[in-house]
Amino acid sequence: MKNKAGDLISYLMIVLAGIILMILLIGITGNSISDALSGFIRGIAGSSYSVAEVFVKATPLILTGLGVSVAFKSGFVNIGAEGQLYMGAVTITALALAFPNLPKGILMPLCLLGGFLAGGVWSLIPGILKAKMGISEVINTIMFNYIALGIVGILLQTVLKDPNNYFPVSATLTDSAGLSILIPGTRLHSGILIAVICAILIDILIFKTSLGFRLRAVGMNPRACLCSGISVGKHIIISSMISGGLAGIAGVCEIAGLHHKLIEGISPGYGYLAIIVALLGGNNPFGVILAAIGIATLQVGSLSMQRAANVPSAISSIILGAIVLMLMARKTIFKKLIDKKEEQG
Amino acid sequence: MSQILLTIATFLAACIRMATPLTLAGLGEAFSERTGVMNLGVEAIMLCGAFSSFIVTFWTGNVYWGMLCGMLAGMIISGIHAILCIKCKANQTIVGLALNFFALGLTSFLFLIVFGQSTILPQCKTVPNFEFPVLGKIPLLGKAFFTHNIFVYLMYLLVFIFLFIYKKTEWGVIFTAVGEHPSAADTAGINVFRIRYLACMVNGLLGGLAGSYFTLAQLGFFMEDITAGKGYIALVTVILGRRNPLGILCSALLIGLADAVQFQLQTMNIPIPSQAFSILPYIAAVFVLLFSAGKSSDPSALGIPYERDNR
Amino acid sequence: MTVKVEEKMILLSMENIQKKFFGKYANKNVHLQVEKGKILALLGENGAGKTTLMNILYGLYQPDGGKIFWHGEEVKFESPKDAIERKIGMVHQHFMLVPTLNVSQNITLGLKETGYPLTDRKAVNRKIKSLSDQYGLIVDPEAMVSDLSVGEQQRVEIMKLLYRDAELLILDEPTAVLTRQETIGLFEVLKRLSQDGRSVILITHKIPEVMEIADMVTVMRDAESIITVPITEVDEASLAEYMIGRPLNIVEIPPRIEKRNQGFILRNLNLEEKSQTKSATVSFEIEAGEILGIAGVEGNGQKELAESILGIRHNVAEEMQLFGKDLRNHSVSDRRDAGIAYISDDRHRDGLLLDAGFMDNMLLKFHKDRRYQNNGILNKKKLNDFINRQIKAYKIKVSSPSLPVRFLSGGNQQKLILSRELCDEPKLIVACQPTRGLDIGATEFVREQLLMHRSKGACILLISADLEEILSLSDRIAVLYKGRIMGLLNNSKNIDITRIGLMMAGRNFNLNEVEIHEK
Repeated sequence: MKNKAGDLISYLMIVLAGIILMILLIGITGNSISDALSGFIRGIAGSSYSVAEVFVKATPLILTGLGVSVAFKSGFVNIGAEGQLYMGAVTITALALAFPNLPKGILMPLCLLGGFLAGGVWSLIPGILKAKMGISEVINTIMFNYIALGIVGILLQTVLKDPNNYFPVSATLTDSAGLSILIPGTRLHSGILIAVICAILIDILIFKTSLGFRLRAVGMNPRACLCSGISVGKHIIISSMISGGLAGIAGVCEIAGLHHKLIEGISPGYGYLAIIVALLGGNNPFGVILAAIGIATLQVGSLSMQRAANVPSAISSIILGAIVLMLMARKTIFKKLIDKKEEQG
Repeated sequence: MSQILLTIATFLAACIRMATPLTLAGLGEAFSERTGVMNLGVEAIMLCGAFSSFIVTFWTGNVYWGMLCGMLAGMIISGIHAILCIKCKANQTIVGLALNFFALGLTSFLFLIVFGQSTILPQCKTVPNFEFPVLGKIPLLGKAFFTHNIFVYLMYLLVFIFLFIYKKTEWGVIFTAVGEHPSAADTAGINVFRIRYLACMVNGLLGGLAGSYFTLAQLGFFMEDITAGKGYIALVTVILGRRNPLGILCSALLIGLADAVQFQLQTMNIPIPSQAFSILPYIAAVFVLLFSAGKSSDPSALGIPYERDNR
Repeated sequence: MTVKVEEKMILLSMENIQKKFFGKYANKNVHLQVEKGKILALLGENGAGKTTLMNILYGLYQPDGGKIFWHGEEVKFESPKDAIERKIGMVHQHFMLVPTLNVSQNITLGLKETGYPLTDRKAVNRKIKSLSDQYGLIVDPEAMVSDLSVGEQQRVEIMKLLYRDAELLILDEPTAVLTRQETIGLFEVLKRLSQDGRSVILITHKIPEVMEIADMVTVMRDAESIITVPITEVDEASLAEYMIGRPLNIVEIPPRIEKRNQGFILRNLNLEEKSQTKSATVSFEIEAGEILGIAGVEGNGQKELAESILGIRHNVAEEMQLFGKDLRNHSVSDRRDAGIAYISDDRHRDGLLLDAGFMDNMLLKFHKDRRYQNNGILNKKKLNDFINRQIKAYKIKVSSPSLPVRFLSGGNQQKLILSRELCDEPKLIVACQPTRGLDIGATEFVREQLLMHRSKGACILLISADLEEILSLSDRIAVLYKGRIMGLLNNSKNIDITRIGLMMAGRNFNLNEVEIHEK
């Protein structure tokens, strides 16, 4: 049996190493460590605004992380969440600008559906290429990210451009295409609710339905699926579509809840962060929520730490990257600790 | 007439300059992939190369020390990737992406620590352009191809060296074997792990050199995320160029061409969005992947950690 | 004192070799001797211990006991490199050739020839050509390995050994992948090698070929070396007897309920994907309530047969019917719905989700089943009840059904598979090596299950390389060799084991067939 205690200890040691690294880096800046840490804490818990900020940042991470983890379960490495998010954002912008007079009750669901479809289609293409032609999705999805970004840029300079604005941004969307603020005085919008609802739905789908079983089986052992009559290609395609769709919804929520117009740069690499969220969350919806909140905490806290003690907020990327790298090396570093003994098969 | 030719020559020269860092990084990545190790962390390597070369040149005033340290930094990042992927047999995709995060954070962090926030970016010395002996004197062609800085000449040399090694030497055969059928290479007595580590180190060295190009040859300063995705474009040149050194150079030139055309159009105030050109390489890459499906030219063991199969 | 020079020179002597894997003997008191310039055939069924012995010789494994003498000197080979240095070479069943390099580059891979690193290819190719002429081993140094046929690739592998001046060449089942023509060509080469003073060990299960080419033969059975004898002193029948003739523990099967129903009909299934030759096809019928055993050494088409019936492979058959329903052109899913159950010989690869628990593994079959879901949502309670019932019924020993099945013993994993595949009264059961790797209790259980379904009227196709398994379960026995049926016998207490052995080793008793040695 696996040495569970050993496993746990190795994870704790990695977290500890992360904290030590953070303190070390703060030390290098020459600024007061206590100032920095208190700034960090204030940034994430000092006021209702701060706490809300964490969840604001966590929302797109939860959604894209969910998407990536669904894909992972089927063996599809979706690095394209970034592009899929943007396609969702484009969709809501286009729909909202085209139908400004629709009541919110119709427009918002329409935009969410449209965003899901747009992100889904964007992910579907690499999915089909993998399922039907065996083309690796790793590079493909990255390429589609850049193509999506380019499309956004082109649209913002042409079709979607706000005529009254010099810069390539879209016109501000009407309130009917907006998500309401949940706590006044903060930026927390109902996107977080959408994210949590999606997590619950995905949990039900993946772990409690027969389709979900097939999606998982295909990732566990495609050969056994073949022998059992489960179509591997079809389920990779379905998985990639759901994955992209969730990222598309993330894009919709960012526009509807936060920016209220389409600009380049609504995503500071959420798509790539999503992979880390999925990894840390164990490809499990509730793990994803926790991981997303954890990463958001790190990011929001680091921003506050920068304001309070001049510690560059880039520190969060360093810690995050380092933790993932340590996780990758975990089994080798802690080999003696995690002594695996398997029963004779 | 001669004015037009001169413009073309200048244009070509610009293409070469834009293609240089992509080619350098591409050559390194192609070598790594040839032996079976895919490195998505090219971005990280280039960033660290850019940063270290900048800092060292800034402090010492010597560009050559800067170049050296750039290459060294690249090798360190690549070394981390190598150990994780070869020894720890970790997933090459995730390690690459994590390194990109790490490097972006680290370089931004260190830059801010050393230089603080300021509106004026600190500058460093840059490499001089010089005329290549003899070849530089050729009218027009000399101006286009042989009046550049040392990075460009190194690039030419490396393209040639790699071509030679791959096609004409036993080493090339060994690299192919390691990436294509590592157990055959292993049975033949070749140390698969050592070869892969070597390829990763070279990848780091060249990627670091490529990164240094941005600071020491192109811009003369460093800023956060100076590479802005060029690492991924280097991966594109590897795909478009089918891992062939000349192919990589040509793809890089084409990408440079697209860039240059885009600039030109902007200066002429033609309202075609720049993105229409900048996405072309990516679309091309997807098509190349599409058409090479089935007859895959990927080394068969690409991305798969090697384990001695002890039956 | 002068030492009398013996006429025969013993090149290699392996004495008293012992090797155990997981407590079970793979080699027990094995003796092997090869003389200079002679061809030794190492004959035996699957699992007899031949490949293990050769892997020990080649340095891939270390023996637990015993000694190896090379040129009279005791040696220890810790890795293939040691063996290669001593001029021992091996051609494995899976070739070690890099497809994207040409023949010449593959041959010199790992060597530092003149001019290294700028290898003088011309010199290399000249040497290859001279070896080629000397031994009749035709290879084109400039050809790309990926363009070569299997027979040509094998020649390259042999050339690799000659290029390194091997004194002893070990070939593991070399004719398994060759046509008759190519086999003749190979034997020509081997004859020239032995005339030149080189020795060959030929690992094989094919008796006719042993008679054709070998000078000496060593028979292995159940991890032991049974006999070593010059080919002149032995004939096919006695070799067959040595190979499989052991007091077989035959348990008698209960008499059949003669149903004479349509059952399963298979006509002219071509097991080779690329071959168009009509002669290489398989045909048979299984009546309802009958077990047809397909015997034969692995690698003769068993996998292709099972997978074609399941629909995993798309090999062409003229007819494939199950109780009147045409199965051809139907998906795996449809065929399973029609009542086909599959017990694969590689349960880890084909039949289990190792990192999942019982429920997921059961769902491999029941994911569409209306009984266990409401509108797509799984009814976990019903599933768990079902699982617990099955665990009881099949006596599966498991501490918790939610643990990854990876941690179950082989026997319990097989029971899980049976509990999944065999419930719901299958009409056709395709069972491949169902008791392989199982202890006596589990083996007995599997047997009972198959007999029970037999009495319920199912058609059972039992494919196995284990003759005891076949003999103790089958009503009729067919032997599969190189993609065709060599003969069909009724199983009885007095069945002619030697005949089966000969069929397994290549002799054709099929009245409808021409001699296998076709032109």
